[in-house]
Amino acid sequence: MIAGSNLEYVLSSGEFAVTGELGPPKNGDFDVVREKARILRGHVDAVNITDCQTAIVRMSSLAAGLIAMAEGVEPVMQMTCRDRNRIGMQSDILGAAALGIKNLLCLTGDHQKFGNHPHAKGVFDMDSIQLLGMVKDMRDGKRFQCGEVIKNYEPRLFLGAAANPFADPFEYRPVRLAKKVDAGASFIQTQIIYNVDKFARFMEMVRDLGLHEKVYILAGVTPPKSLGMARYMKKFVPGLDVTDDVIKRLQDASDQREEGINICVDIINRVREIPGVAGVHVMAIEWEEAVADIVSRAGLSARPEPRGIEPCLISSGTIEEVVSKAEEQIRAELEKQVDQARTEAAASRDLVTKEKEKAAGEISELKSQLDRLKDMADREEIKQKQLAEELAKTRAALEKARGVSEAGMVCKSIVEPQGVAAEAAPVSEIVSGEALSLREQRALQSINKGLEALRKILGLTEDQLEALKSFFEAEFLLHMGEGQPAAAASAVPEPPRVQIAEPVPELEEAVEPAAEEVAAAEAEEMSVEAAIEEEAPPAGVAEEPMPAGIPPCPPELSPDEWKRKWVVRLTARGNVLLHKREVQEAESAFRQALKIDPGYEKARTGLERAGKREAVPEVPEEKPASPEAEKEVAPAVEVEELPEAPVPESEAAPPEEKKPEAKRAASLAVEAEGVEISTLELAEEAATLMERAGSIPQDMIMEPASGVIQEVVIGDGEKALTVGGSSALPFHLFEGDMPNSPRIAYEILDMEPEEWPEPLMKYYSDVASDPVAWAKKCVEEYGAEAICMSLVSTDPNGVDRPAGEAARVAQSVVDGVDVPVILWGCGNADKDTETLREVTNLTGSKKVCIGPPTDVNYRTLGATAMAFQLPVVAATPIDVNLAKQLNILLENLGMSLNQILMDPSIGAAGYGLEYTYSVMERIRLAALTQQDDKLQVPFICNLGREVWKAKECRLPSDPLMGDQERRGIMMEAVTASTLLLAGGELMVMRHPKAVSLTESLIRGMM
Amino acid sequence: MIIAERKPMQEILGMTAGMKKVLVLGCRGCVAVCSAGGDKEVSILSSALRLGRKMSGEKIEVLEETYVRQCDPEYLEPLRESGKDYDAVISMACGVGVNFIADCCRGVRVLPGVNTTFYGANLSSGEWKEMCAGCGSCVLHLTGGLCPVARCAKSLSNGPCGGSVGGKCEINPDVPCVWQGIYDKLTYLRQEQNLREITPIRDWRPAGHGGPRRRIREDLLS
Repeated sequence: MIAGSNLEYVLSSGEFAVTGELGPPKNGDFDVVREKARILRGHVDAVNITDCQTAIVRMSSLAAGLIAMAEGVEPVMQMTCRDRNRIGMQSDILGAAALGIKNLLCLTGDHQKFGNHPHAKGVFDMDSIQLLGMVKDMRDGKRFQCGEVIKNYEPRLFLGAAANPFADPFEYRPVRLAKKVDAGASFIQTQIIYNVDKFARFMEMVRDLGLHEKVYILAGVTPPKSLGMARYMKKFVPGLDVTDDVIKRLQDASDQREEGINICVDIINRVREIPGVAGVHVMAIEWEEAVADIVSRAGLSARPEPRGIEPCLISSGTIEEVVSKAEEQIRAELEKQVDQARTEAAASRDLVTKEKEKAAGEISELKSQLDRLKDMADREEIKQKQLAEELAKTRAALEKARGVSEAGMVCKSIVEPQGVAAEAAPVSEIVSGEALSLREQRALQSINKGLEALRKILGLTEDQLEALKSFFEAEFLLHMGEGQPAAAASAVPEPPRVQIAEPVPELEEAVEPAAEEVAAAEAEEMSVEAAIEEEAPPAGVAEEPMPAGIPPCPPELSPDEWKRKWVVRLTARGNVLLHKREVQEAESAFRQALKIDPGYEKARTGLERAGKREAVPEVPEEKPASPEAEKEVAPAVEVEELPEAPVPESEAAPPEEKKPEAKRAASLAVEAEGVEISTLELAEEAATLMERAGSIPQDMIMEPASGVIQEVVIGDGEKALTVGGSSALPFHLFEGDMPNSPRIAYEILDMEPEEWPEPLMKYYSDVASDPVAWAKKCVEEYGAEAICMSLVSTDPNGVDRPAGEAARVAQSVVDGVDVPVILWGCGNADKDTETLREVTNLTGSKKVCIGPPTDVNYRTLGATAMAFQLPVVAATPIDVNLAKQLNILLENLGMSLNQILMDPSIGAAGYGLEYTYSVMERIRLAALTQQDDKLQVPFICNLGREVWKAKECRLPSDPLMGDQERRGIMMEAVTASTLLLAGGELMVMRHPKAVSLTESLIRGMM
Repeated sequence: MIIAERKPMQEILGMTAGMKKVLVLGCRGCVAVCSAGGDKEVSILSSALRLGRKMSGEKIEVLEETYVRQCDPEYLEPLRESGKDYDAVISMACGVGVNFIADCCRGVRVLPGVNTTFYGANLSSGEWKEMCAGCGSCVLHLTGGLCPVARCAKSLSNGPCGGSVGGKCEINPDVPCVWQGIYDKLTYLRQEQNLREITPIRDWRPAGHGGPRRRIREDLLS
């Protein structure tokens, strides 16, 4: 082993090696490297970390390599001779070795002319072969380049180099490869191979020189991401041989990405057969996701377990992983303990209930005993009374007898009744009060017995028993036995309280030590405690049935909240109805509200008002609901936040009833992931402006226009759109007419968008590579009324697709959908003229609008448009006079003003929107009030492209800026709303949800 | 020969702004041969200066003179005194002349009239091409007489990089790849061995990276 790297292990074991490529970012973002490394991990044996490839400044190879290593991916550090002299290079080599880098690829480097700093001084102190020699000498000779000895820790690096089999002179290439091997290269990665035949010839020469025995050769492959990329490489990358076969395969493919991967896999399979090829180097440039696919389809997915990776950085991800594992363990442990505590608590509670029942049984027994005693006492009393009566009778008879006859007879008869009297004495005592002690004593005895039993059962202390006893005695004396049940009832629940309290401290003890170990577990502990505290109640509440007349409660709300919300909603609805003088309905709404919540003040006052048939006073029309309700149910513009709930306020038919919209709503709902902007509906304005103006004289608020905007028809047939025609400022319907409502066209590109942010792209990613499918999706799924196709691929500074080819794509889009299509050039006057002329030759006079003619090419484009009677988009830099001038020029050419749409140049919100607004407003005022007929032309606002390139739409979601998609949608919708108010008649937009928001605004305003 | 080209007129007008009297001083050495600073170019520049000033409504007195060379002290002798009469002397010699006047003639303000560009050959009338970098350690015996230091964009020592296609350099299709030339030449001369041997890392001190260069010949020192 030279350096003991994973790559070296794999290659020396004879395994077919796979290496990948990772381009560090053009910024200092740690996460970019980490993400790329994670994508590649497990699919390759090592990853090249490029060193400012194509001379563009990027994060250094060493730093990015360390990050990759921390993710468990072995880096192959690249080093070029362009940017450092021998001092800098040797210094970095020592550093790399110290930090655990074990592979080094030595390159001369691309010339600085190709990068973003073409004015830089290229260093080129040495070339790649000399670099290899230098590093080899540092490693094996333990010497710096100057000859000085490296005393300890010489850099142990597995050295690689590049070879280009397709550069000239072809015959010299293997010889030069031999030089690299001689200089110290242990492995070679080749330039991207498309021409496998030529590579095979190269390998033959390599084998003739015996080099395949001395060096591991890894064949370089790259999946072409698109036809455009393949063409670019063929045309502009020197030393890259892209075959016509590859171009043709991509051209014929329905899915270019898929075909690109297939091409790559085919090449891998072919080069594997060539003797001397030890592996492949897969360079999926900015397409790291493809690597896994390629590797698995090539049957190379079983990579050997990595060895020799010794990261000196530990990535936060790894730490997180370890911590979360520990956290999970502790949580499981805690949960177990909590469960145990909970079952114990439940068991003890059961015990308590049982004992409570037992005690209750005892008490009732005591009570019945008491009752019996009482009965006995009563019976005795009656007996005594009878005896007393008898005694009295006897006495009376005795008196009588005494009075009538002799004493002797009488004396005898007296003796018997005296015994009775003696016995009767206690009875009289009872009656007098003192004799109660007998009954009392018996009763108290029984109570004491009962309490003793209770004490045993409940395990009370002597003191407790004593207290209880005295309490009972007092109760008994006070209430003469009747108080007993009350006392028992109040006394019994006490002991269970003592019992239940016990499990909690136990639980706390169990939880605390764990909490000390991991701070994160604290929250868990609290929630556990909370859970125990309110264990029983929530279940009971949840089962409570909803009062009649309320829809089922949505899961995210508690029934009470939902009830309250519903009441507020009903009240708001009542207010709205009341305002519309629909008193009966209003009353029923208020009544419903009161039925659910009789105490709701606002509903009651509403009902009273309804009784008096008066409109809501004070609160302006736009705010029919109370301030509280405003939060729940935004009054004028109601954004429905709970998608499942019905919309009681909206007077307009709910979106579900409109077929295309329903379809769109459904598809949006499916795609919406976490973004809750659903279709919004505007409440209809209840009172006209005149009504609201009250006593203000009309001429003070009215400013009727004298001019009329031209009507422009785009497209033909049923789906043709007419825009313009208004004779008032936008939406000033009280001043004039606006016969055609503003329209929205969906923007599509004629090639796969490169810089559309993900929240926008996700709606189109399935169709982005196919403009026809894209257009169809917009029309069929999102209900687009028009399509605006940007011919960006024709840009001579970009892909530079030939005009004829672009025209054919445009034609298939025009034929593929039945809505009007606006074809928007790339902005290069000459190329646009050429492309659009080609398009119109193919499509003829069919439903197309073309643009933008500028002051440079208006003659040629205008002539084309005139020939086919097509409307055009006249684009000018944002300025009233320039806009007017172009209209005049086009008119002079012979075009009619009703064939022109003005593009005033748009700025997104925050990017010059206010300037756009003021210029548009000035144009519109000139057109309407100053009869400037050259400006009486509708506006087209291509705003989607401006909005979505704004930084605000590209920054990822974060707590400060909020959700990225929501932000983008709002940016686009707000920009569109502003432009609508400035007079825009045709909006070109991108995000389906922003379109939906804007459409509902238009519906509400018209 | 040293190749130079006249500085843009605007730049010269800028550096002489406000001056009333200047001398345009030519050289009959290299710059005369490459038509940048000989007698003819001196009078062209002088006229242009006068015209330029006239257009902006300012007066200037421009005198013309051309020396045999400006890089030998004896030729500069008269300028030591006469140079002080001018607001500035615009030297149309290569950078050597400008430096040398500044060194030798105290009190004389000297301005460059040309940009000194490279050591080159005259391919045809009006076309010059860099052939030597003055690197101080010539390797032309190993490379068939073609210089990779001056004529390769990366000054490679060990053969062409991967960007050499069809005999052209990757930086510009108008630039020939000198290594293709070296390969062809050495193959023709049957010196392929030179192509197989590794050229070691260069010592760049003779190329000027060791500080300003100087050459002394004891036998000629007076």
